[in-house]
Order: sequence, then C-alpha cells, then structure tokens
Amino acid sequence: MFRFAPYVIKSLWRHRMRSVLTASGTAVAIFVFCCVMSVQEGLERLTSDEDAQRTLIVFQENRFCPTSSRLPEDYAPRIKKVPGVKDVMPVQVWTNNCRASLDIVVFNGTPPRKLQQARDLKLISGNWSEFEDRRDAAVVGRNVAIRRGLKTGDQFSIGDLSVKIAGVFSSSIPAEENLIFTSLEFLQYTRGLDAAGLVTLHEVSLTATADPDAVASAIDAALRAGPVATTTRRKGAFQTSTLSDLVDLIGFAHWLGYACVGLVLALVTTTSLMSVQDRIKEHAVLQTLGVRPARVFRLVIAEGLLLCNAGGIFGVALALAMLSWSGLAVGAEGVTIAFRPSIHLAISGATVTAIVGIVASVLPALQAARTPIVASLREV
Amino acid sequence: MALVELRNLTKTFKKGDETITPLLNVDLDIEDGEFVSLMGPSGTGKSTLLNVISGIDRPDEGTIHVDGVEVTRLSRGRLADWRAANLGYIFQTHNLVPVLTAYENVELPILLLPLSAAERCKRVELALEAVGLSDRIDHYPRQLSGGQEQRVGIARAIVAHPKVVVADEPTGSLDTKTSDQIQVLLQRLNRELNITMIMVTHDAETAGIASRHLVLDEGRIVESGKIGTTAVPAVAHR
Repeated sequence: MFRFAPYVIKSLWRHRMRSVLTASGTAVAIFVFCCVMSVQEGLERLTSDEDAQRTLIVFQENRFCPTSSRLPEDYAPRIKKVPGVKDVMPVQVWTNNCRASLDIVVFNGTPPRKLQQARDLKLISGNWSEFEDRRDAAVVGRNVAIRRGLKTGDQFSIGDLSVKIAGVFSSSIPAEENLIFTSLEFLQYTRGLDAAGLVTLHEVSLTATADPDAVASAIDAALRAGPVATTTRRKGAFQTSTLSDLVDLIGFAHWLGYACVGLVLALVTTTSLMSVQDRIKEHAVLQTLGVRPARVFRLVIAEGLLLCNAGGIFGVALALAMLSWSGLAVGAEGVTIAFRPSIHLAISGATVTAIVGIVASVLPALQAARTPIVASLREV
Repeated sequence: MALVELRNLTKTFKKGDETITPLLNVDLDIEDGEFVSLMGPSGTGKSTLLNVISGIDRPDEGTIHVDGVEVTRLSRGRLADWRAANLGYIFQTHNLVPVLTAYENVELPILLLPLSAAERCKRVELALEAVGLSDRIDHYPRQLSGGQEQRVGIARAIVAHPKVVVADEPTGSLDTKTSDQIQVLLQRLNRELNITMIMVTHDAETAGIASRHLVLDEGRIVESGKIGTTAVPAVAHR
C-alpha cells in the first residue's frame, strides 16, 4: 500500500485549494468537537470521580447559591462525631457571579492547615508559610492564574475582596484549579458577607468503609435539632444539582459535538466524491494497468483518511493547546467545570477523525472501484 | 500452440433499441513475437477486440487463451493481476497520470509486482532509455510534448516485461513526424525485445509496420495475411 503513497499524496495536492479548504473545515469542526467533549469530560470528572463520590457536602436545606447558605461553623465538631466521618472542613464560599459564567471567580475560605491536609494541592510557585502567616494571603488555582494573568506576589482585588497571592497551585482535581483559597477567617470578615461564625458548607471526608449515603442521612439527622436544617449529599450529586441548568446546556452542546462530526463527514464525502468523479478515467487507466478494484478502493479510502486526518489532527492539537493555555472554565453558583486537555480527549479526537475519514470515503471508494473500465476510458 | 487464441468470440451490446454486434464468432491465433495490426471501418469491433483480449471487457460467448491462461474465466480481481504481469496497454491519448512524473508513471504497473525498489528502478530506467526519454524522468506530463507523452506510455506498457502489448491507435493523436517516430519505436521494441504486439490503427502506413495485418468488418475478420502478401487498405475509414 505504501508503494502508492506518492500517488495518494500527489492526488490530494492536485486540487490543493480544495484539499486545504476541506482540511481547514475538518480542523475547525474537530476543534469544536474537542472543546465540547472537554466540557463533557470536565462535568463527568466533577460528578463521578472518587472525590465526588467519597466526599460529602453539608449545605443549608433548600439553598443553592453559596450566598444564601449560612451554616454555623460549630456544626463541624458535631458532624465529626457521626460514625463514618473522618474529617470535616468548614468552607466559606464567595463568588463574583451566581449565574452561569465563563469567567467565574470563586473564593473558598478554609482553615489553612486543614486545606493542606484535605486537598491534593501542589504549589507551582510561592509557599505555604506565607499563606498561613498572612491574613489576606491567597493561593490561586493554575487556571484562574492563567485566565486572570496572576502570579505570586500580585495583589488581586475583586468586589470587596483584596488578597495577596502567596502561591499558585495545581491539583489532581482539575475543577479545583479554578478556585482561590484564602483563610476562613479572612473570608468570613469580608465586607458584605458578615459571616462571622458562619460558613457556606461543610466538606466531609469519609472513612474507607463508610457508606456515603448512610453517613449523609446520619449527618442531617444529627443536625436536625440545630438552628439551621441541612441537606447532605455526595459532592458529585451536590455539584450536579448546583449545575443543573448548565448540565442541560452541556447535554445539548454534546449534540453539537456530534453535529460537528456529521459536518466533517459531509465535507470529506463531498470532497472525495468530487475527486473521484474528476478522475473516473484515471481510475479506469489504473485498473487497465492491473490495479485491482479492491486496491482502487483502498487508495480512495487512504486519500480520504489522509485528508481528514490532516485537518483533524490539526484541530485536535489546536483544541489541546487552547485548553492548556486559556485556563477556560464554566461555572455557576460557586461550582466550576474545568476545560482541560487530556490524553483521552486527544485519542477521542484522533479516533473520531480517522473513523470519519474512512466512513466518508466508503461511498466514493466504491464508486471508483466499480468503475466500468471501457466506458470510463471513453470519458473525455 | 499460439500465444493468443481466440475461439468463437462474440460480443453484443444494446444501444437504445438497437443490438450492436461488434464481434461475431471471431477465431484468431497470434503467435509469440508477432506484430499484428487490426484495421477496419469505425465501429467494426477493433477496439472491442483489443479490450476483450486485454480483459478489460468480457465477451458474451467464446474463449480467450493467452499463454495457456483462459482469461475469460478469471474474476475481475484476478484479471487485474493477470494484466499487471502479462499485458501492456498503450492508449491513443496516452492517459498518463498528470500528478506523477514520467518515472512515476512508468513505475506504476510494476508497483503491483513483487519487485524490490532497486529492481523497479532498474526496470524503469531501462524502459525510459528504450524509448529515448532518459533525460525526462522527472518531467510531468504537462511538461512533455504529445510524442514524448506517448513514449512514456509505451515505456509504461513494456516495463513489466509483458507477454503481450496492445496498442489502441497509438499514433492517432500525433502529427506525422511524431507518428513516424512512434512507429519506428514500436517496430524496434517488437523486433529487439520480441514483444508480441496487437495494434489497432486507422492508418495504413502505421499498419505497415506490423508483420501481420487483419481487417475487421461487421464483427468478423474479413482479411488476414502477412504484410506483403495482403494489401493494406489505404484508407480504412468508412
């Protein structure tokens, strides 16, 4: 097959404008496909990874936006007494926007030492001691830092908040890279929040054998006599519920991703078909020279595959580069979905491209292989 | 046993309500190393005969044996393999692949054969040398004259060392001077390489280079004889 590689490549280059336009269209469509799939992957990670399943969120009953949930901070020791609970971390949340946004800024105020124990955060720059020692210090997730152009030592102000950046961190959980952590006290005393002694939620880690749903029910039962009723859910369920509007939107965008694949299919089929119809006589000549119909079929498939891959691989690379460098995230009500590049995304994009390239070329390849030789040789 | 044996060959096809019979009970033997010209008025089955011998068209009845192989029984794929190894085809309009160089065009048929790259290179260079185009190997068809294109077509037809070369009006689209050069070339290849050639032509002068001359009319061979014993019709157009 590789002996015919120069023929395949030169055939594509023959109508270079057509080939380049088709490859460009494919690149754009696969780029969009990858972006949509990265949102899908982000949502999937957010709602179904181990952290989402083995961590509980205690929130005020019938509240959804972080600004409206106000739980006593001293619920923490009471929650810790519930069997199956390993540790509890009170979290005060502040966000610049409760609605869906692509540039949501979310502050989580937590006790600094607890933060380091509870979360798998690695500082890319800065140090933890400054974060612990300075009252207005903050550590910033890598995505926020990229998006907002922040670095260690900067002063960052938004709304009534103004923090000194003590470090930039990366996390094994991509969504956490969209957060800014401060000390709990600092956020509680921020002007406008008036949350002394109050927190937005309690994050509960479980012992290895604990049943999350049973522990959640036990926590709600234990706090029922308290001043504020609670709803305790797995972190994944909490985040799905918080992002319910976005989940619907992402579900719809998922179909847009498939529409992009359909677009590539139509585009490459059209180009391949035009190319085959332009070369009916040439394919008849090849068969006269002894090229088997099955080989003609494979040659056309190879052309389609190459054309589709040329654009598709570029689209995948572009999407991965954009996702790594832009730090994009979408969020609502203090919960964010990270758009992150991944090997899975790269493989999915490349696989879809290859499959579409092959499927799109089947019809033109059949036409070329079934060319009646004598009649086609008479074509002008 | 003749190299090419045609027995009771009949071919018909429909054109509207009319049934056309370009070949009717044709029997023909062509010996190894022979140079046969096929003449006759337009539409009398010359090209059809060439196409069925080449295996790119199938007869309705009859058999074709080439070097002992009954090509009429081969599947489309097997026929392609057989053509790659045993048959060279020279087209009237050259039919070179425009995106390939002269070298790559000539190499095309032997890409299908189990030959090493070095062997392919040697064969292509020899074929191009045989047609006098060693200095044009990197030229594309658009950079060649009509005569040079036809030479490349001839090199492509002989590069696989086929048993039979068929030529469908090889000088039909060339000027007189170029046509003469191609005639000389074909004659030389037949004599020096002992390639069996079957050539369709309308031109009596071109037919004159063949060692045997056949005339077809209404699907039958109406004249057959060695050059010099049978008169070559001056004008075969009807």
